[in-house]
Amino acid sequence: MPVSAANTTVNALEAQGIGKRFGGFWAVQDITLSVRPGERRAILGPNGAGKTSLFNVLTGDLSASTGSITLFGKEVTREPINKRIRRGLRRTYQHAHLFNGLTVQETLFLAVAGVRGGWGQIMPVRKADARMFEAERLAHVAGVADVLSREVSELSHGQRRQLEIGIALAENPKILLLDEPAAGLSPAERPKLSALLMSLPKDVTVVLIEHDMDIALQTSESVSVLYNGRMLAEGAPDEIMRNEQVHEVYIGGAHGH
Amino acid sequence: MKHAAILTPLLLLPLMLNDFWLTQVATRALILGVMALSLSFLATYLGVVSFAQATLAGVAGYTIAYFGPNTVGVGTELTFWLTVPLALVLATLSGAIVGLIARRSRGIYAIMITLAIGVAFFYFTRQNYTFFNGWTGFSGVRAPMIGDMSLRDPLPLYLLSLAIAVIALVLVNSFVRSPLGLAIQAVRDAPGRVLALGISVTTPIVAAFAFSGFLAGTGGILNAWYQERVSSFSVGLGSIIDLLIIAVIGGLRHPSGAFVGAVVFVLLDTFAVDLIDRERFNTLIGAVLLLIVIAAPNGLQQLVTDWGTRLRPTPPQPAPKTTN
Repeated sequence: MPVSAANTTVNALEAQGIGKRFGGFWAVQDITLSVRPGERRAILGPNGAGKTSLFNVLTGDLSASTGSITLFGKEVTREPINKRIRRGLRRTYQHAHLFNGLTVQETLFLAVAGVRGGWGQIMPVRKADARMFEAERLAHVAGVADVLSREVSELSHGQRRQLEIGIALAENPKILLLDEPAAGLSPAERPKLSALLMSLPKDVTVVLIEHDMDIALQTSESVSVLYNGRMLAEGAPDEIMRNEQVHEVYIGGAHGH
Repeated sequence: MKHAAILTPLLLLPLMLNDFWLTQVATRALILGVMALSLSFLATYLGVVSFAQATLAGVAGYTIAYFGPNTVGVGTELTFWLTVPLALVLATLSGAIVGLIARRSRGIYAIMITLAIGVAFFYFTRQNYTFFNGWTGFSGVRAPMIGDMSLRDPLPLYLLSLAIAVIALVLVNSFVRSPLGLAIQAVRDAPGRVLALGISVTTPIVAAFAFSGFLAGTGGILNAWYQERVSSFSVGLGSIIDLLIIAVIGGLRHPSGAFVGAVVFVLLDTFAVDLIDRERFNTLIGAVLLLIVIAAPNGLQQLVTDWGTRLRPTPPQPAPKTTN
């Protein structure tokens, strides 16, 4: 079989029987998930369904209690997050823990240097450093170019969320895990975020946790619904919208019917 | 401009001061400032208060004493072209080891671990005679001679200390703008997040401690020459706390505060005897520290900066930019 043909059958992300236990509590249990390269997948579920725990296990922020994870056919279950980053995996965090004492440009510089290498250099960063230019480009993409030399502590909530995405876009990610990127954004800021997500290159795989149904359905072609740490349903957005069970636990509940 | 305004008076100081003031006050403040700088560097950029900085300075001081001229007959005499680099390498390595040990601790736990290291080293120097000559330590430590002139003479030692202090500040300022320096600050702000950038958390911490060991070691060498002795007291709890007091008086927000703190500390230390009994010094320095912490929580350096901004006439506000 030709190599290119083999590659098209390899999933970007493959999770088999993932479980994460905290003491006696299973945050997620027996989750199996396959995401094709270039797919846009939304993960829905009520609060406490285990969405962020699943993300933490997929990225390596937390180790899996059970199951296995492969990225582009490579088993990574025991790899720490900094190794998975080099395989093209990136994530954003629900609560933006950013580097308050650094500027926007310095933050993005570190994101670039973290993947490209050379973050251990001890001479001052030169103005002409290619990684600085790349940081500037990322700031433009993420919409924070106007606050490039501002300290992160001075940014608004929306700007911090945009910076989060800028960090995740450093050095051509192959698979992006976005944890509620629209959380806490004003109605005016939401369309900007949608546009940014839609403008991502088509070959980038995106897995998105999102409470905002508009953003989730607008930007995704398939949906997985979690409930109580288990996979409740998977399918195309319209299938999910029609699914009785999903209505019951999530959509119905969220709208107060 | 700003730098020249600070440096010129410092260079002219020897013309205005007698030997007592130059050596006992100015030089001593510069040396203590360099040692305290190693502490305020860690506190400012890594967010860790280390009690092991007097220990790291002591490592360099003991190296200079053991491999240099001394009057206790312990050690081997080498040329100072070898002992000075050796002392710096050992202090830097010791810093890295302290960093490795303390790398998972922050806040009060980092303080406890570094304090434990400092106290352990203090008792070790008291009990070991082979390398440290017990509690008496080394006396008769001589600074190198350049021609007929000893580096210990008031003017050369002052100029050397001034040069080292300036270089140390320049080094700190350039290091914190390097990729590794940025990574150190990233670890300070959100350690959990650094790994997700593909950056190790341990390396920046160990590097910051190693660099602080280098700074402390530089001060330790100067101190050994200045004091002409190194003993367990140089690495004891008293010295550990002195450095902390200096750094806090100056302010942990900016590294240069270490020198402001050192000047205040040395003035108090030198002239307190004229005001109160010798044994009441701790009461005095304690009261002063308390006053400063209450009146200027960010240290004297910050207080001076704030006054500077307040006294400066506010520039006319630029007209708001029209946005298109």
